[in-house]
Amino acid sequence: MRNILRKEMKLSASILSYLFILFGLMFFLPGYPILCGAFFVTLGIFQGFQFAREANDIVFSALLPIRKKDVVKGKYLFVCFIEACGLILMLAAALIRMTLLADAAPYRTNALMNANLFAVGGALLTFGLFNLIFLGGYFKTAYKLGKGFVTYIIAATLTIGVLEALHHIPGLEAVNAFGFERIGLQLLLLLAGLAAFLVLTLLSYRAACRHFERIDL
Amino acid sequence: MSIAEVKNLGKVYPAFQLKDVSFSIRQGRITGFIGRNGAGKTTTIKSMLNLVHPDSGEIRFFGLPFASHEADIKKRIGYSTGTVSWYPRKKIRDIVSIVSRFYETWDDEAYRRYLRMFELDENKTPLELSEGMKVKLNLLIALSHRAEILILDEPTSGLDPFSRDELLRIFTELKEHGVAVFFSTHITSDLEKCADDIVYISHGQIVSALPKQAFTEQFSQAGESLEETILRMERGMNHA
Repeated sequence: MRNILRKEMKLSASILSYLFILFGLMFFLPGYPILCGAFFVTLGIFQGFQFAREANDIVFSALLPIRKKDVVKGKYLFVCFIEACGLILMLAAALIRMTLLADAAPYRTNALMNANLFAVGGALLTFGLFNLIFLGGYFKTAYKLGKGFVTYIIAATLTIGVLEALHHIPGLEAVNAFGFERIGLQLLLLLAGLAAFLVLTLLSYRAACRHFERIDL
Repeated sequence: MSIAEVKNLGKVYPAFQLKDVSFSIRQGRITGFIGRNGAGKTTTIKSMLNLVHPDSGEIRFFGLPFASHEADIKKRIGYSTGTVSWYPRKKIRDIVSIVSRFYETWDDEAYRRYLRMFELDENKTPLELSEGMKVKLNLLIALSHRAEILILDEPTSGLDPFSRDELLRIFTELKEHGVAVFFSTHITSDLEKCADDIVYISHGQIVSALPKQAFTEQFSQAGESLEETILRMERGMNHA
């Protein structure tokens, strides 16, 4: 499994997939929809898929001495690796904002979502949607990228819009907690995001293995 | 000994159909897979490697069903396709350093030997190679992991006569080391030069799968070359 991940990282990936991880640092931006950081991380992965398609990557991978479903596993491992890197930056930024910058005025007056553990959970949900819609959709043909990505953009935009505005709904103000306020709720929402990510990714992975086995390359 | 068996392979496309394709490939023999463009050679080869999902039939390598021993079988196979280039902007050295890790049997000495023989520069990218050199790059990778059978899709297309001759000589050398070579071609002189067995496909159906001598005895008319025989048979099938 290490070999296929190494192959993904060194041969298939585009440099943009790595550079766009830095968009995780958008969690530091005040007055900006920070969950777009998660979206931009996935945009970098999408660029990598375009690059790989031009390089006949999928047929090359299918010819390697591995099972066809290990080709799918390699792609999922790589995507999850990039997402995990982005998530680490987001989590680090959120923790800094929750501690050192907890009382910084630009963050306190921010109309949009605050960078707390709920926001990190939101990023996980966004990644889960990417894995379900784009990555799962890609393996239906192992060629077509556009439709899946556009569908994901719509789903991600709606999700990010709802999550960014959620705390303005009366009774839901607590999701925008600052620092370690309502830490129990924040942790719960983070875990909910993680659970959503895992379920969506696993469902997508299983369907992708099934589809990829059947298609002609 | 049969090293690979294709049994009753079938695949239906809207405008083309592979019908009941069956043949076997024997150890230490060169098998030429001949047929005109669009006859079903590439679909058959892709089905043999699980790149195309056949509707029916069975593929076995080394006596094992491909479906349940995919990874182990692929380790013992070398595959090359003529014109496709992988990762056009990556250096050959980088591609090889990744690929070689997948094979416990990777033979670095053989790799260096073929690299010199094919006059390939590791620091070049596939984009910088001519079509013929791309074929050689694919072959280089296939030959460097001590494959027991080479499955080559049109390896001679795009090669100059010298490189083609050189390649056919390499096939003969590999055969002497017990390697089975299965290569598709539409160039009949390739078969005349080195094939031991001929599998002839036309319109998605196997017309004949025989040793070359048996093939000429059965189908050739007096004084007819192999090329003339196959041309006549193909014309006959078009008129049928």
